[in-house]
Amino acid sequence: MRYNLWFGTVDDGIRISEDFKKSFLLASNESPLPFSVSELGLRVLGRDYYRILRKTAIEVAEERVRKELGSDEMYVIALVKALEEVEEAINMVREKDEDIRLVKEDLAEHFERALAEMERLRSQIEKEIDAVMQKIAPNLTEIAGAKIGAKLIEKFGSLKKLAFAPASKIQIAGAEKSLYKALSRMKRGKEARVPKHGIIFLHSFVRSLPKKKRGKMARFLATKISIAAKIDYFRGELEEELFSSLKKRYEELRRA
Amino acid sequence: MRNVRIINGTPATKSRYGSHYGERIFLLGSERYREWIPWRSKLSAMILKGYEIEMKGEEKILYLGAASGTTLSHLADIVDEGIIYAVEYSAKPFLKLLELARERENIIPLLFDAGKPWLYSGIVEKVDFIYQDIAQKNQIEILRMNSEFFLKKGGEFLIMVKAKSIDSTADSRGVFSRVLKDLSKDFRILHHDTLEPYHRDHIFVHGKF
Repeated sequence: MRYNLWFGTVDDGIRISEDFKKSFLLASNESPLPFSVSELGLRVLGRDYYRILRKTAIEVAEERVRKELGSDEMYVIALVKALEEVEEAINMVREKDEDIRLVKEDLAEHFERALAEMERLRSQIEKEIDAVMQKIAPNLTEIAGAKIGAKLIEKFGSLKKLAFAPASKIQIAGAEKSLYKALSRMKRGKEARVPKHGIIFLHSFVRSLPKKKRGKMARFLATKISIAAKIDYFRGELEEELFSSLKKRYEELRRA
Repeated sequence: MRNVRIINGTPATKSRYGSHYGERIFLLGSERYREWIPWRSKLSAMILKGYEIEMKGEEKILYLGAASGTTLSHLADIVDEGIIYAVEYSAKPFLKLLELARERENIIPLLFDAGKPWLYSGIVEKVDFIYQDIAQKNQIEILRMNSEFFLKKGGEFLIMVKAKSIDSTADSRGVFSRVLKDLSKDFRILHHDTLEPYHRDHIFVHGKF
């Protein structure tokens, strides 16, 4: 058996690593070690064991934190774009499948297999979006859901831009076309209605309400999303209270 | 609890360090205490509710979900002669955690996913205690895996369970009873209670491996 430890490897004997920072990131083992790392480490590195470990841990973390900040956001944006395209592709293939089935059933099986495969891909992408969003924007994920949160980040360009955007803009993001159409009609003195929601319409709290109340909910949700994005951008820690206020407002609207 | 005192109704930990996240410092004679607000920290809320966990001060602890180190800083005051391995996966709060780790000699910061303990299996030693505060759906599974990798036989754990992150629609009491049943498969549960009124929809569970 060979064990990978942060200060080296152990099989028949102990081989001490020349670069602790490198071996620190390779200290992975499939199953629990049958001994305690520090016991062996104290024997090998002596009294300085914890001092060296701590110094290595801090140095490695400093480098990784610097690299990670930023790259995850670009990843999530790319994922959202991919998700949209895959969804569109699924719809298109399904449509064609139906068209062909009307005439002949010969290819049905192939279509089905391809669709199942694509749907697996879609859920894989969704899972990944979920995981990354939890990490980079826990509050936004809690309030808006991973998918909507990611779409908003993509729409605004970055978490920073979303955090600095006014809530009203978040409320109608994704419905710009109908907003400007309505605005230009108003300018000409005609009657028009501005959209109540864009991307956030996908949120179950908005969608599940009767039409008349959706505007109120969308407005409230947008303000909470705005707060969530600000917390995520500046602090990055989960704020437990935020969601309960959203839920309370939803219950109020549902009952009223 | 060791190095903890209730001052004017709020817990505080004896510390020779300054303020980490803006908390107040009290001077009692020649001793310094850092205020530990129960609304900010679930561990403080638990203590204020009258439940204590025996600490000798030289424990080896694995802390999962350290975030920016608010609770961690107080725990580091309590086990001032021990070692705390602090795991956190998010880069942003980790920046703040690093500040703390540079100051405190008993904290080893680990930027890893607590859901993948094998990745740090060659770094963390066998520990006496696991403290976990992770708001994720598979939080029980995370505790189980980490216990298998790192917790000594007879070692203890304290987990802060958030009902909403396990099941956001179900009644929290139902979620908690499921969690307790699930935990009792691998652990012996010593005590559990809610964290009301400081943290809603949360319970703490203290147990033994």
